[in-house]
Amino acid sequence: MRKKNRNADADEAEIDLTPMLDVVFIMLIFFIVVASFLKEAGIEVNRPESNDNPPETDATSISVTITGDDQIWMENRRIDIRAVRANVARLLASDPEQSFSVKTEPGATAGTLLEVGDAAREAGVKQVNWPLEEKK
Amino acid sequence: MSSARGTSQGGGGEGEIDLTPMLDVVFIMLIFFIVTSSFVKEPGVDIAKVSAVTTNACDRGTIIFAVTAGGDIYYDKKQVPLGRAFRLAEAAKKEAPKANFVIQADVDAPTSVLSELLAAIKPLMDAPLCASTNEAG
Repeated sequence: MRKKNRNADADEAEIDLTPMLDVVFIMLIFFIVVASFLKEAGIEVNRPESNDNPPETDATSISVTITGDDQIWMENRRIDIRAVRANVARLLASDPEQSFSVKTEPGATAGTLLEVGDAAREAGVKQVNWPLEEKK
Repeated sequence: MSSARGTSQGGGGEGEIDLTPMLDVVFIMLIFFIVTSSFVKEPGVDIAKVSAVTTNACDRGTIIFAVTAGGDIYYDKKQVPLGRAFRLAEAAKKEAPKANFVIQADVDAPTSVLSELLAAIKPLMDAPLCASTNEAG
């Protein structure tokens, strides 16, 4: 349409695009500024479905308990955080499909929980399960 | 732009700059930024994250809660009680149905608060929780 106008008579009939361009540029700059390309990174922690009866009595699973004073217990022994990966890897070697769960007691800190989860993932665990913490 | 106007007022026709290609590009950029902007509400508290070797990107993790060392829950720069966390999470999920949940937990945050918070938002989650960590090494 513009081309036709221009060829014919020019000047008066032409639409001035400048105000629209101003608006579009302001919107563009607004969205560029607002667009936060922040990428959260972390480790996945799964909360298993809560059911009253304890699941899988036939299948073995790897279980780690973090006590209220941040001690890590595994197979009835207290172990160091640095030993978690090796222990989980050892248990996983017999059956790589085993599920892994970490139980916490009130008073434990998130740092220990996530470090244990990280160590387990490093050892090759597919999913870190964290059941609901039991209240005292 | 002023030269374009000048020529159109003067001689018109040939000397005018055709703005159409530039407008096309600008519109495409505009639409791109509108679509990609996700409007993340950041918790706005400083927390000491755990370093983890197996850190990977949280896919579409845009609903972010933070739990401080003192056990306070933060969302959108405000401290919220545990009871309100579900309603906030529900509203955020309704706004962006594909968004997943992220919890930024301080190293010293009590797991009891974290556990309760996770239990509260569990019905809304369709992917495992992403616990925010720093990439180690």
